[in-house]
Amino acid sequence: MPLRPDTVAKIQDYARRYPSAQSAILPALWAVQYEQGYVTDEALAEVATHLKLPPSLIEATSSFYSMFLTRPEGRHEVMICVNAPCMLRGADAIVAYAEQRLGIRDGQTTSDGAITLRSTIECLGACGGAPMMQVDHRFEENLTPDRINAIFDHLRTAPAFHEQPPAEKKPARRTPTVSGEITRSGPSGARARTRKASK
Amino acid sequence: MASTVVTDQVTLTVNGQSVTVPKGTLILDAAKKIGIDIPIFCSHPKMAPVAVCRMCLVEVEKMPKLQPACAVYVADGMVVRTTTEQVQKYQKGVLEFLLINHPLDCPICDKGGECPLQDQTYQYGPGASRFDFEKAHFDKAVPLSDKIVLDRERCILCWRCTRFSEEISGERELALIQRGVHTIIGTFNDEPAQSNYQGNWTEICPVGALTSREYRFISRPWDLDRTASICPGCSMGCNIQVDARHNRIGRFQSRENLAVDDGWLCDFGRYSFPTFQRQGFEAPRVRQDGKLVEVSFEEAIAAAADGLAQARGAVAGWASPAATNEELFLFQRLFRQRLQSPHIDHRAFRPTWPDPDPDDMTLPIADLERCDYVVVLGGQEVIDAAPVLHLRLFKSERRGVKVLKIDAEQGARAREWVPADAQAVGILATVSHKKEATDLQAALGKKVKGSVRRLLVVRGPNGRGANDLGILPNFRPGYEGLNGQSGKGRAEWGKGGIGAAYIFEASPLHAFEATEDERRWLSGLKTLVMHRFRASPLDDLAHVIIPGRAFTEKAGTVTNMEGRVQRIGRAIDADAVPDDWMVLQAIARKLGAPWDYHESSDITADLLDLIPQYAAVDRGERVLWSERT
Ligand code: SF4
Ligand code: SF4
Ligand code: FES
Repeated sequence: MPLRPDTVAKIQDYARRYPSAQSAILPALWAVQYEQGYVTDEALAEVATHLKLPPSLIEATSSFYSMFLTRPEGRHEVMICVNAPCMLRGADAIVAYAEQRLGIRDGQTTSDGAITLRSTIECLGACGGAPMMQVDHRFEENLTPDRINAIFDHLRTAPAFHEQPPAEKKPARRTPTVSGEITRSGPSGARARTRKASK
Repeated sequence: MASTVVTDQVTLTVNGQSVTVPKGTLILDAAKKIGIDIPIFCSHPKMAPVAVCRMCLVEVEKMPKLQPACAVYVADGMVVRTTTEQVQKYQKGVLEFLLINHPLDCPICDKGGECPLQDQTYQYGPGASRFDFEKAHFDKAVPLSDKIVLDRERCILCWRCTRFSEEISGERELALIQRGVHTIIGTFNDEPAQSNYQGNWTEICPVGALTSREYRFISRPWDLDRTASICPGCSMGCNIQVDARHNRIGRFQSRENLAVDDGWLCDFGRYSFPTFQRQGFEAPRVRQDGKLVEVSFEEAIAAAADGLAQARGAVAGWASPAATNEELFLFQRLFRQRLQSPHIDHRAFRPTWPDPDPDDMTLPIADLERCDYVVVLGGQEVIDAAPVLHLRLFKSERRGVKVLKIDAEQGARAREWVPADAQAVGILATVSHKKEATDLQAALGKKVKGSVRRLLVVRGPNGRGANDLGILPNFRPGYEGLNGQSGKGRAEWGKGGIGAAYIFEASPLHAFEATEDERRWLSGLKTLVMHRFRASPLDDLAHVIIPGRAFTEKAGTVTNMEGRVQRIGRAIDADAVPDDWMVLQAIARKLGAPWDYHESSDITADLLDLIPQYAAVDRGERVLWSERT
């Protein structure tokens, strides 16, 4: 399946943004995955042509990163971090709850094709909001069973990330705070900076 | 005020020995300079350091951790130790790690016996492994192309092959796929590799992961008889080593000559060796009553001499541009002095040929790197004619030389492209586009300040020698004119006046390759002598067939396209077949010549008397015609 003209245009645009086309490989692969849901060998070859790079280099790059999928999976990807900070804040229980809720295990996809679960993920860098998971390209932090229920319910019907209208792609619906603690993650929870004097 | 002397030299000590080297030298090379060997896997003198294997770790005073000698540059006053207890412990550790998933199938591995991993494990490694879990398994005997087989279990991920593909040939066909313990070497989508330089991967791979299919299970390296020689593939003249086993060729390996091949071979040349493999004894044959019958060499030579003598004055002689200088020297003497037939040639058929001259090679191969602009007139056609040139051009480009590859007809574009302030311009072309090359050279000579030199790729490993030695109707050896005594060239032989022909087809790669018209007039001759190594399509027209020797079965000299005279060595015994020069001598003697050579080196001596420039052979230098007085 050849890439759509708008994807090709995006890739060509990325290539122009960097001094070396090699730098555009990752954004180009994302564009492919957004359009097709996963990355085929055919698409790798097409990316190589558009970036004027050897195809071996594109495959080397895409195979290095686990986030580029090589076969079709669920419409949404749920990745639960089980690295030390999240583990200390109850990630194991969160994994157990999610698995039971979805009826699938690590690497599997729900039978309605809505959600692919990954529950052996290492640090995603959102330790401040542990336990956390990444849903498509958005962080969900300070997870509780209720939050998880709400998120999964939403995902069952929500269109795939790349089919959502642009506004919905904005990250961070605010996560509810955990009682007695101040949340400092996400744009709105960030520690207030001292204002710089103007001029 | 005390003056400080600024120098570009730094002095350091390695294992207590002091050594002074230029700034920017790697610890590894500084140590090597005083004979201290540091074990390496990933480091390669022609590639940028990556320091991925950690085999070369050494202690450097004041640095908190061990440092990779292949990637750390020397500094003044540095104190390096390569044999301390800590270093030895790390070397053992690195090797133990490398061997964790290594299959240790040395007994069935082609590399066994010349394998850096094997050698260094013996020298620096632990005696035993502490890893008693199941090893990780990968694919074995993966056909990477029709030339190469890859064993993914043996690979130690040194990146040499991928870096060759990126930095040396620029084709970027090989890549590291996946990551971590899953990393493998491969091509995109497992497509067969297309490169013409794959054989080099097998030579730089420090383990038995990349090996040649032609050499698979052929020999143990210690059983090989090694002979220094020159590649018979083209006029580049890459230096090779012929590795033979039981008097059969096992493989061609590179033999680094920085001025010519820079240590590499192309696959066309490297894997051409089966062409030179002898297929058993072949008896000479003579046509009697229309049928070819087997005879002795004596009889065949007598019949040849007879037939040629009858056509004295009207004999055409073609010698392959793969014959040695010694053979060619005798060949032209036989024709000019004994057969009174100056109708000799070595060229492929072409209605008109420009005259060769010494200026065709004023640009030495290695000087491509020192040009600032190089025009490859003919583009891929030039590369196909001498493939290793591509590696030299790519290296030059990486060092900032501007290279323009265009069709031979597009000289006008090159005239525009080279700016007037260029210092050194090089023009590369095949000999069939000599006219375009000389025109461009003349035009650029007027336009630019600096030098404009050309190098023409000729046909055959000794095409240049054939020109130098006058295997041409209109030049004597040394490009001396013939004062109106010129003979007929190949393009005129068919037009009448030729009664017999002697075709000396020394190499199947550079054969006569008759056109339809040529076959027609050859079939009308009274005598056609075929002196050749392999069966030829012209055999069925021949009156005398004299089997000759293969390139790998003789000694002598050949001259590459830049005029460098190099020796080829006899790697294979073919005692039942007389050496090609002996056949030429025997025929000449039947025609009254007093020649009495016993070795091909005796001929070399005579040749040097006639063309003193060829004395360069003893210095491995180029023949400098332009310095002729
Ligand atoms: S195949 Fe050989 S050269 Fe290539 S990375 Fe593996 S060990 Fe190194
Ligand atoms: S470039 Fe020519 S001489 Fe060199 S290896 Fe290839 S065929 Fe042989
Ligand atoms: S040789 Fe130095 S790290 Fe490999």
